[in-house]
Amino acid sequence: MPEIRVTPLGAGQDVGRSCILVSIAGKNVMLDCGMHMGFNDDRRFPDFSYITRNGRLTDFLDCVIISHFHLDHCGALPYFSEMVGYDGPIYMTHPTQAICPILLEDYRKIAVDKKGEANFFTSQMIKDCMKKVVAVHLHQTVQVDDELEIKAYYAGHVLGAAMFQIKVGSESVVYTGDYNMTPDRHLGAAWIDKCRPNLLITESTYATTIRDSKRCRERDFLKKVHEAVEHGGKVLIPVFALGRAQELCILLETFWERMNLKAPIYFSTGLTEKANHYYKLFITWTNQKIRKTFVQRNMFEFKHIKAFDRAFADNPGPMVVFATPGMLHAGQSLQIFRKWAGNEKNMVIMPGYCVQGTVGHKILSGQRKLEMEGRQVLEVKMQVEYMSFSAHADAKGIMQLVGQAEPESVLLVHGEAKKMEFLKQKIEQEFRVNCYMPANGLLPDAKKPRLLHGTLIMKDSNFRLVSSEQALKELGLAEHQLRFTCRVHLHDPRKEQETAMRVYSHLKSVLKDHCVQHLPDGSVTVESILIQAAAHSEDPGTKVLLVSWTYQDEELGSYLTSLLKKGLPQAPS
Amino acid sequence: MTEGLPVPSAGLAGISSLTMDPECSQLLPALCAVLADPRQPMADDTCLEKLLDWFKTITEAGSSLLLLQENPCLVELLCHMLKPQDLSSRVLSFSLRLTGVLAAQEDCFQYLQQGELLPKLFGEAGPLGGAAWTSPAVRSGWIQGLRSLAQHPSALHFLAHCGAVDTIFSLQEDSSLFVASAAGQLLVHILGLSMQGPAGGPPSLQAGDWPACAQKIVGHIEESLRATATPQITQALNVLTTTFGHYHDPWTQVLWVQLSPLVAGLLEKDPVPAAHSLVDLLLSVARSPGLSSSSCGLWETLAQTLSHLSPTQAGPLALGILKLQDCPQALRAQAFAVLLQPLACVLKAMAQDPGSSGVPDGTVGDSMTAGTPLPSKAACVGLLCRSLAHLELLLPLPQRPCPWPQAPLLGAAVTLLQLCGGSARPACDMGRHLCTLLLGCVRVQRAALDFLGALSDGTGPRELVTQVFAVLLEYLRSPDSSPTVLKKAFQATFRWLLSSPKTPGCWDLDPHALLFLRDLLPVLQKRLCSPCWEVRDSSLEFLTQMARHWGGQAGFRHALLASEVPKLTEQLLRDPESYVRASAVTAMGQLSSQGLCFPPAGPEHHGGQQKSLLVELLHILSTDSEGFPRRAVMQVFTQWLRDSHADVAGDTEQFVAGVLQVASQDLDWEVRAQGLELALVFLEQTLGQPRSHCPHAVTPPVEAPVGPLAQALQPLCRVRLFDFAFRALFDCDRPVAQKSCDLLLFLRAKTASSSGLQESRSSPDVASVEAALQRWQAGDQAQPLGDLEPEVVLAVLRSLDLEGLRGALAESSDHVEKSPQSLLQDMLATVGVLGENEADCY
Repeated sequence: MPEIRVTPLGAGQDVGRSCILVSIAGKNVMLDCGMHMGFNDDRRFPDFSYITRNGRLTDFLDCVIISHFHLDHCGALPYFSEMVGYDGPIYMTHPTQAICPILLEDYRKIAVDKKGEANFFTSQMIKDCMKKVVAVHLHQTVQVDDELEIKAYYAGHVLGAAMFQIKVGSESVVYTGDYNMTPDRHLGAAWIDKCRPNLLITESTYATTIRDSKRCRERDFLKKVHEAVEHGGKVLIPVFALGRAQELCILLETFWERMNLKAPIYFSTGLTEKANHYYKLFITWTNQKIRKTFVQRNMFEFKHIKAFDRAFADNPGPMVVFATPGMLHAGQSLQIFRKWAGNEKNMVIMPGYCVQGTVGHKILSGQRKLEMEGRQVLEVKMQVEYMSFSAHADAKGIMQLVGQAEPESVLLVHGEAKKMEFLKQKIEQEFRVNCYMPANGLLPDAKKPRLLHGTLIMKDSNFRLVSSEQALKELGLAEHQLRFTCRVHLHDPRKEQETAMRVYSHLKSVLKDHCVQHLPDGSVTVESILIQAAAHSEDPGTKVLLVSWTYQDEELGSYLTSLLKKGLPQAPS
Repeated sequence: MTEGLPVPSAGLAGISSLTMDPECSQLLPALCAVLADPRQPMADDTCLEKLLDWFKTITEAGSSLLLLQENPCLVELLCHMLKPQDLSSRVLSFSLRLTGVLAAQEDCFQYLQQGELLPKLFGEAGPLGGAAWTSPAVRSGWIQGLRSLAQHPSALHFLAHCGAVDTIFSLQEDSSLFVASAAGQLLVHILGLSMQGPAGGPPSLQAGDWPACAQKIVGHIEESLRATATPQITQALNVLTTTFGHYHDPWTQVLWVQLSPLVAGLLEKDPVPAAHSLVDLLLSVARSPGLSSSSCGLWETLAQTLSHLSPTQAGPLALGILKLQDCPQALRAQAFAVLLQPLACVLKAMAQDPGSSGVPDGTVGDSMTAGTPLPSKAACVGLLCRSLAHLELLLPLPQRPCPWPQAPLLGAAVTLLQLCGGSARPACDMGRHLCTLLLGCVRVQRAALDFLGALSDGTGPRELVTQVFAVLLEYLRSPDSSPTVLKKAFQATFRWLLSSPKTPGCWDLDPHALLFLRDLLPVLQKRLCSPCWEVRDSSLEFLTQMARHWGGQAGFRHALLASEVPKLTEQLLRDPESYVRASAVTAMGQLSSQGLCFPPAGPEHHGGQQKSLLVELLHILSTDSEGFPRRAVMQVFTQWLRDSHADVAGDTEQFVAGVLQVASQDLDWEVRAQGLELALVFLEQTLGQPRSHCPHAVTPPVEAPVGPLAQALQPLCRVRLFDFAFRALFDCDRPVAQKSCDLLLFLRAKTASSSGLQESRSSPDVASVEAALQRWQAGDQAQPLGDLEPEVVLAVLRSLDLEGLRGALAESSDHVEKSPQSLLQDMLATVGVLGENEADCY
C-alpha cells in the first residue's frame, strides 16, 4: 500500500506562495518555496512551522525542488535555507539556477525600498542559498540518495520551467509546477511520458478556462501599441526584468521589422543584455522555431530595442519603454509613469499581475486620481491597458497532461477553490481517477485501497507480486501481444490496392497529428493500427477492411473503425 | 439598523474615539455592501486579511462599540451573513473573524449578544450547520473568531452554552492541519481563561472544584490520553504542551499531578505512541516555572522515557534535559549518554581495541550494534546526523556536561569523516559495515564538518589536532567532495586555524598550522581552478578570510606569496560567473591592501602592479554587465580610501573623481549608494573626522576644518561630489536618495559652525543650480551641473529642505498605498474589474 502524504504549505487553494510538502515512502520532499507578493509581513512566506516542529529541517527534509524562477515558486528560498536553517540540497534546472538569483535580488531591492522590512535576506544569503543548488538536466534521473530519485520534464511556461517526477522504489509523484501545453513565441509545449505516477500534483490556475489563443492577445497588444505610437503617444510597459519582458521584446522587434516602424523602443534596466545572454545560453530550452532560426538570426539580439537613458523620457515624439518594476510601485517605471500619466495620447500596458496597494493595481481597477506622496494627486489621463500573457495550461491543457501521464490520482493546487471543483469533477469523470483539491495544510488521504496490476510469482513457498516486465524477465518469457481486430465493409468496386490508397489518403487528411503510412505491401498503418484491404468473397463491389490494433491504442483504434465505417470521401472522377 | 439589534448607547459618544478618519467612514458602507453581495466576488484574497488587520488596530486603540455605533454598516454586514445565500467562504470567514475581534471587548460583546448575532454566527444555526462548513477557510474563521472573542467571563459563559467546546473537540481531528492546530490552540486558550476565575481570584486547587468548562476540557484530554488511536493521543499531548508553555499558575501543577499517570501510562505501550509529542510535553512541563519538578515525579518520568524511546526519538529529549538549568545529575548523565551513544558505537566499531571508545556511552542498550540486526543506511545516517547536530547545539551552552569529552568527540568526528571519505581502516565486521553504509554520504559529511568546526572552540591532544587537520586536508583535496561539503570543510579549517595555539605576543600562526598551510595552498590553487563556480567562490571567500586575519604575518605572507594563489585570484577577476568575479574583487582588494598580490620583487615592480589592479577594478566598475562585481569594486575602493591605500593616497582627488563619475551613472542602485558612501568617507577625510560614524548624527563637529571653509570645500567641488549628491537626492531608488540626504545633512552640520565664507545667496549660479534641482525633482533629466563653487554649494545646501526630504524618504515607498483609505478604495474599485489578472502570477 503506497503511503503518500501531501501537505500544501502555500499552494493549496491559494495562488501565490507555492510550497508543498510531499512524503513518499518515508522520504520528505519540498516542492517549490514561493512567496506571496501581496503581503509585507511574515504572511508572505509559507508557514514552515508545520515542518520545523518535526525537529531539525535538514534531518527531516530530504530535498527541495524548485520548478521555475517565478517568485511565487522560489521567493522564500533564501529565507528558508539561510534564515529558517535548511541545509540540504536544492534541485532546479540550469536556467532556473542562473535566473533565480537575479529575480531574488530584484525582490530584495523592493523589500529594502520599503520601510520596516527587517528579517529579510541579504545578497550574501541569496548567494549562499544558490550554492546549495544542484542543477539538473531534462530527463536526467538524479539520485538524491540510495532510494530517492527525481527526473525533470519540460514544462514550457517560462525559460527553464520543469515538471518533476519524484520516485521512491515503485512509488512516484509528479509535480507539474506551472506549465503550458501550447507552444508560444519562444517556448515549447510541456511534455511528459506515460510515467503513470501514483499521484499527479498539477497546477490549476486556469482550471475552468478554455483560453483564447495567445495569438489573438498578441495581435491585440501590437495593435494597441501601434495605434498609440501612430498618434504620437508614448507607451510604457512595466515588466519584471526577466521572463515576460523577453517575450514582448521578440514580439515588438518582429512587428517593428515587418512594419518598418521608426519609433524607438527602449529597455530601461540594463538587464536586457544579461537576460538575452541567458536566453542565448539556454537556447535548447526555447522552442523549435527559435532554435532553427538561431543560426541565421538570433531572436534575442534586437535591432530595434535600445538601452534606455533616463534623459530619453523627456524626448519629444512617440516611443515604447520597457521599465522595471512590473507593478509600478517604485523605481524607474513609476518615475516614467508619473511623467507621462497626464497625457491622454500616452499609454501604459500592464502585462502581468499587480498586488493590491501598488499603483499598477490602482490604475488597473480604474482609479484615475492617485494620491501620491505629500498628498499630491496625480491625475491619470493616459490610456491604461491590461494584457495577459501568462502561460499556464488551461482546462483543456490540464486534461491533456493527465491523459499523457496516466496517474492513479490527481491533486489540484495553485488555483481557486470553485474553479478547481469544476475541474476535479471533469477529471474524475473522464479518467476515472480520484482527484483532490486540498486547502493549505490539508492532508489528502492518498492511502485509499487501490487496484494493483502485477504478476504473482510463487517460488519456494514465497509469494511475490512483481511488475509484468520483471516477471517476464525472471521467467525468461517473451511478451504476447494482444491485438483487437475488426472488419469494416466498404462499397468500392476498385481494386484492393486502390481502396487501400483511398483509405491512406483519407486518413492522412483527417489524422494530421498521427503518423499515417502506406506500406509497400499495400497495407496502411496509423501508429500500431494496421489496415489491410481485401476483396469480399461474395460481392466484388465490396471491399473488406481488416483493422487491428494493440490495446495501448485502443482509443485510436475504436475511433478509426468508426471513421472508416462512415465510408470514404468520393474520389474525384 | 438591523432587526433585533438596538442602537448602541449614545452615552458612549463622549469616549475619545480612535476609530477611523472621515474618508474611510464614507467608503465603508459601500464596501460592506459589496462584501455582502455574493454576485460581486472579491478578487484579491489579501485585501480581506489587510482589512481585518486594520480593524484589529482600531479596536486595540479604541472602543469597538463606538466603532459599531459610528459605522452601522458593520453590524448590517454581520447580520447579512446569517441569511441563507451563496456567500463566498472568504467573506464568511472574514466576518466570523471580524465578529470575534469586535466582541473581544465585553460591552461590544454584550451588544452583539442582545441581537443574538453571536449565537447565530457561532452556534448550530450558523455556518456550522450549513454547506459553508465544508470550506476549511470558514472553519478556520470560526475558530479564529472565537479565539479573539474569548477574552472575558461573558465570552466563557457564551462558549459553554452554545456548544462550541464540543465542536472544537471535533475540529482537533480536522482534515486541514491548520484548522486542527488552531482548534488545539483555542482549547488551551479557553482552559486558561476559565481558570482565571470568575472575579479574577485564583481558582480552587482541587481539580474537582474547577469551573465546568475547564473540567470538560480536562476530561476530554484524559479521554484522549486513554484512547488507542495515536492521532487522538497526539492532540491531547499537543494541547498539554501548549498549556504548560503558556500558563505557569499553580493550577497547572494540579493539572499535571492529575494527568501524569496517564502520560506515564503511554510509556507502557510498545511502541510508545506519539513519541515526538510526548517529548515536547515532558520538556514543556520540565521548563515550566509553575511546577516543582521533584514533587511531581517528573524526573522519574523523564528517566523512564529516555530508556523507553528509540535512540532517534530520545535524542531531542536528551538535548532538552541537558539544557535544563536545574536537573538531577544522574538524569543528565543518562541524557548525555543517549546523545553520545551513536558516536560511541562508531568509535567502538572502529577501535583496534574494542571496549575502549573513550566516550561515556552509559548503560543504555547499544542500539547500533547489539542485539538487533545491523541498521539500515537511512536509520544509521539519520541517527548520526541528529546526534551530531544535538551535540553541536549543546557545545556552546554554559550548562553543557562537565567534564566535556572533547578528545573522544574529536576522535569520533574525525573517524566519521574518514568513514565517509573512504580513508578509514576498519578492524572488525561492524566497522566494515559502517564503512559501506557511510561511504560518500554527504549528509553525514555536512553534519560532521559542522560539528568538527564547532569543536575548534575547545582544545585537544596534539596528535588528534594533527588528525583533524589531516582529515580536513583530505576533504579539501578530494575530488569527490561536493561543493557544499567543500564549503563546510573551508569553514571548519578556518575555525581550526583561528583556534590553533598562538605564541604569546604574536598573532602569527603556530608552526604546525604553518606546516598545514604549506599543504593547504596547493589545494587552494587547485580549487580556484575548479569547473564548479560554487567551489571557486568558496575558495575565494576562504582566501579573503585568511588574508584578513593573517595577512600581516610573515609566515603566512611568505607561504602565500610563494604560491600561485594571488595570480590565480587575479585571473578570476575575469571569471564567467559574476558571483566569482565579485568574490575575486573582494579577495584582490584584501590582498592588495596587505601587499599580498605579487611575489616579493623590487619596489618599482610592486608599484606598477598595484596600478594595474586599480585600473582593472575601474574597468570592472565601468564595464561589468552584472551588479555583484561592481558592488564589490565599490566596497574595495571605499575600504582603500578609508585605509589610505598607497595607490589611492597618491592622488586621492583623481581617484575619487574617477570613481564617483562612474558610480553615479551606474544602473545598479547599490553601486550608486556605495558611491555615496565613498563620497562620505572622502568628505570626512577632507573636512575632518566626525564625532560619530553614523551619518545620521548631525551634531556640529568639535573640530573645525583646518583652514578656510572655501578651501576645504574646493576638493569636494573638484571631484564633482555635489553634482552626484544633489542629483541622487531625487534618485528613483529610495535608499540612494536617503543616503545622499544624510550626506548633505552631515555636510551642512559640518559647515554650519564655520565662518569665513560668504554665501552667494542670490548669484545666477545658485539660481541655475536650484532650477536644475527642481527639474530633477520633477523627474526631468538635465545636463550635469558642471563646476560648482563652494559658495554656491553652501547656498544651495541651506536653501534645500533636507529635513523635510529626509522625513519623506523615511516613509515606506508604499506608505500612501498601504493606508486604510487606499485599501478601501482599491477593494471598491476592484469589484468586477479584475478577473484573470489575479491568477496571472508574475
